[in-house]
Amino acid sequence: MTAALGRFIVLASVFVSAAGSIVAFAAGRKRSLDGLQMARRFAYAFAALMALATLVMEYALLTHDFSVGYVAHVGSREVPTWVTIVSLWSSLEGSILFWGLVLGAYIAGATWLTRNQHSDYMPYAIGTWLGCATFFSFLIAGPANPFLTVPAAPDGPGPNALLQNHMLMIIHPPFLYLGYVGMTIPFGFACAALLRGRLGHSFLRPLRSSLLLAWIFLTIAIMLGGWWAYEVLGWGGYWAWDPVENASLLPWLTATAALHSAVVMERRGVLKGWTVTLVQGSFLLTILGTFMTRSGVFNSVHSFTQSAIGPTILVFLAATLLYSVVLLALRINSLESDGRIESPVSREGMFLVNNLLFVLLTFTVLIGTLFPLINEAFKGRQMSVGRPYFDSMVVPVGTALLFLIGVGPALPWGRATKQQVIRSLLLPFISGAVVAIIGFIAGVRNPWTILTLLFGGYAAFVTFNEMFRGGPKVVRRGRRRFGAYVVHAGAVIVLVSIAVSSTMRTSKEVRMTRGQAANIGPYTVTFIAAEDRTEPHRQSTIARFAITSNGKPVTTLEPRMNQYATMREPIGTPDVHSTLTRDLYLSIMNIDPGTQTVSVMMLITPMVSWIWIAVFMMGIGGVIALIPLRRAAIVSEAKDSVPEDAVTA
Amino acid sequence: MNRTVLIVGAAITLALVAVLFVGLGKDPAEIKSPLIGKPAPEFALKAVGTGQTIDIAALRGKPVVLNFWATWCVPCYQEHPVLVQNAQIIPNVQFIGVVFNDTEDKINAFLRERGSVYPTLLDEQGKTAIAYGVGGVPETYFLNRQGVIVAKFTGPMTTEILQSNVAKALQ
Repeated sequence: MTAALGRFIVLASVFVSAAGSIVAFAAGRKRSLDGLQMARRFAYAFAALMALATLVMEYALLTHDFSVGYVAHVGSREVPTWVTIVSLWSSLEGSILFWGLVLGAYIAGATWLTRNQHSDYMPYAIGTWLGCATFFSFLIAGPANPFLTVPAAPDGPGPNALLQNHMLMIIHPPFLYLGYVGMTIPFGFACAALLRGRLGHSFLRPLRSSLLLAWIFLTIAIMLGGWWAYEVLGWGGYWAWDPVENASLLPWLTATAALHSAVVMERRGVLKGWTVTLVQGSFLLTILGTFMTRSGVFNSVHSFTQSAIGPTILVFLAATLLYSVVLLALRINSLESDGRIESPVSREGMFLVNNLLFVLLTFTVLIGTLFPLINEAFKGRQMSVGRPYFDSMVVPVGTALLFLIGVGPALPWGRATKQQVIRSLLLPFISGAVVAIIGFIAGVRNPWTILTLLFGGYAAFVTFNEMFRGGPKVVRRGRRRFGAYVVHAGAVIVLVSIAVSSTMRTSKEVRMTRGQAANIGPYTVTFIAAEDRTEPHRQSTIARFAITSNGKPVTTLEPRMNQYATMREPIGTPDVHSTLTRDLYLSIMNIDPGTQTVSVMMLITPMVSWIWIAVFMMGIGGVIALIPLRRAAIVSEAKDSVPEDAVTA
Repeated sequence: MNRTVLIVGAAITLALVAVLFVGLGKDPAEIKSPLIGKPAPEFALKAVGTGQTIDIAALRGKPVVLNFWATWCVPCYQEHPVLVQNAQIIPNVQFIGVVFNDTEDKINAFLRERGSVYPTLLDEQGKTAIAYGVGGVPETYFLNRQGVIVAKFTGPMTTEILQSNVAKALQ
């Protein structure tokens, strides 16, 4: 009964989104306001149906209705209620339904916020969104149907054990979906601009804001993913260039580039076609990422196992790629205007270099990720490039970007004189040198890390200088600017922390029996005992360690091996003692409670906490920049930018 | 109409979709090696630490466990204790590690920390890995007494997986 209700709602959503998309495009062609009004209603209806379908699924999960296919697949009476609720996104079919829910919410939100504006662009934007919605509701109705009726079993296996293993896994996927799905909205706006053949100054605002919103979620999601890997996977790192990690990074790179080129577009009226291309690219990369996770083509810790929907997503990717390419080819020329960049040594010049670097990074990561497939296509066998490729390519570009965070804002718009350049670069350089010297004294020897400290100190000086230039009222007046510099400050800290934490780590693997102790850094780690603990959904073998420093007790750490009924191999869960300066990380390699012996990997990694803190700060900066300006502030900000539509009319 | 955009865009679309299409329907964990049942490709590489050259052809007469790994590979950390432990308890089987895409310093540090009971060879240009068609690390080949590859495993091995494959090599 529940399954049939769910199927009916999903089928209705296929119909509603497809009809809405057709109505919207027709309204766009005829410039019909009534048609637009009708398309808006379809958009709200789609969102409502998706919300309803999700509610039906949650109801089935919570009532343990094992006649619903998805519940039979991931449900279990044994797991805690919170696990049951979040198992909506623990497996393929449910996660696509969740995708539909988020997409519906985004479309409804964007439609409502633009209800009184941009009526010439909006039909095409809504048409594009509902076109994407049609595809996803089709996926839910057909290839990835969570509402299949199955013979009811008394109990189910429970969701993927990795999801149950850590609380971070509850919040990482929703943020990732909010970031991924959010890219659909700016994509719709960009396609609308292309279909109309122009991009007016006022239409930049919804384009930029929607992109920024998705960017904020994606930024936080990537960080949460890294944090989860660090806290759960037990090898002491937070990034392994895994195909699916890369899949989340790729749209982030292009979206970051687009947010920067949008600033130049706003100021100088140039780079419109380029910005639109980047926005489309960000959306397309999210679809590529979805393909990577859902098709089973890539070997990854994240992959969903079933691959039945791979071909369907590939068709959608091909269709959206073609749609974007054809639109761009037809209309890119009509977007461009006669504004131009006066001098390469200027702020806009640095924006251009920034964009080139981000695009270079995107291609580097993309090719590295696809390499096994490319190699197979040409040589008939898979071969992955592995970590050294990514590290050797990405570290120099990342360092160059850090340099730009410093140099860009220090240079004036337009044309810089030699004195301006020297004046703006010298003072921050001194600050950078001081930071690098302090680092060297503290023991940093890796040349890339020292360079990162130099550029980091430099960029931090410029960022804080710009942030508070003009006194406290700058926070209120130039909120977007201020927010952007908060993001920059966060990015500087992230890059420096990554450099320091990845090159300054010490590790030790020791075998201990009960009562024995080992030293690492300032800590003494004493093995107290190993014990078995049985919980309803898992069995754990826990090793307890007392941590002391200079004889004073610091904390107790309990790394463990968790054995879930549904998984053959146990999952090791490390335990971490985090401080602002360094983390002590214990991960079990081998444990035997019978003889009370344990092999444990001990790691001391400096500055890891700062990565999480600073990425969070980037998110906050994004939110500050996103909050709409009050009318008075809009006027004062508009004074020093290009007048409305002056260069596009 | 902007022809450059159209041509570049179409080329990217076509290349991307084609590459992904080729990859569809293949499970990367289950790549069958065409080498199974064939003599193992020959190589002679220098051992890390001792500098001694080891020639695979000279090992005929003894089953060989040939493990490809690297210090940058996360699952290899997990697998290493399994290999070390089994190399000590399984008699008359030669274990050999081949490391590629790596540096001698890092390998030495890894082995110092985690133990080393059998020769580890450095495949500096990755030629041996390519000859064996190694798709990713860790990957392990099992050679019988005649030097014929009888089994291959992709990913980190557990003791059970290792021993069941060694049994095939001993037949």
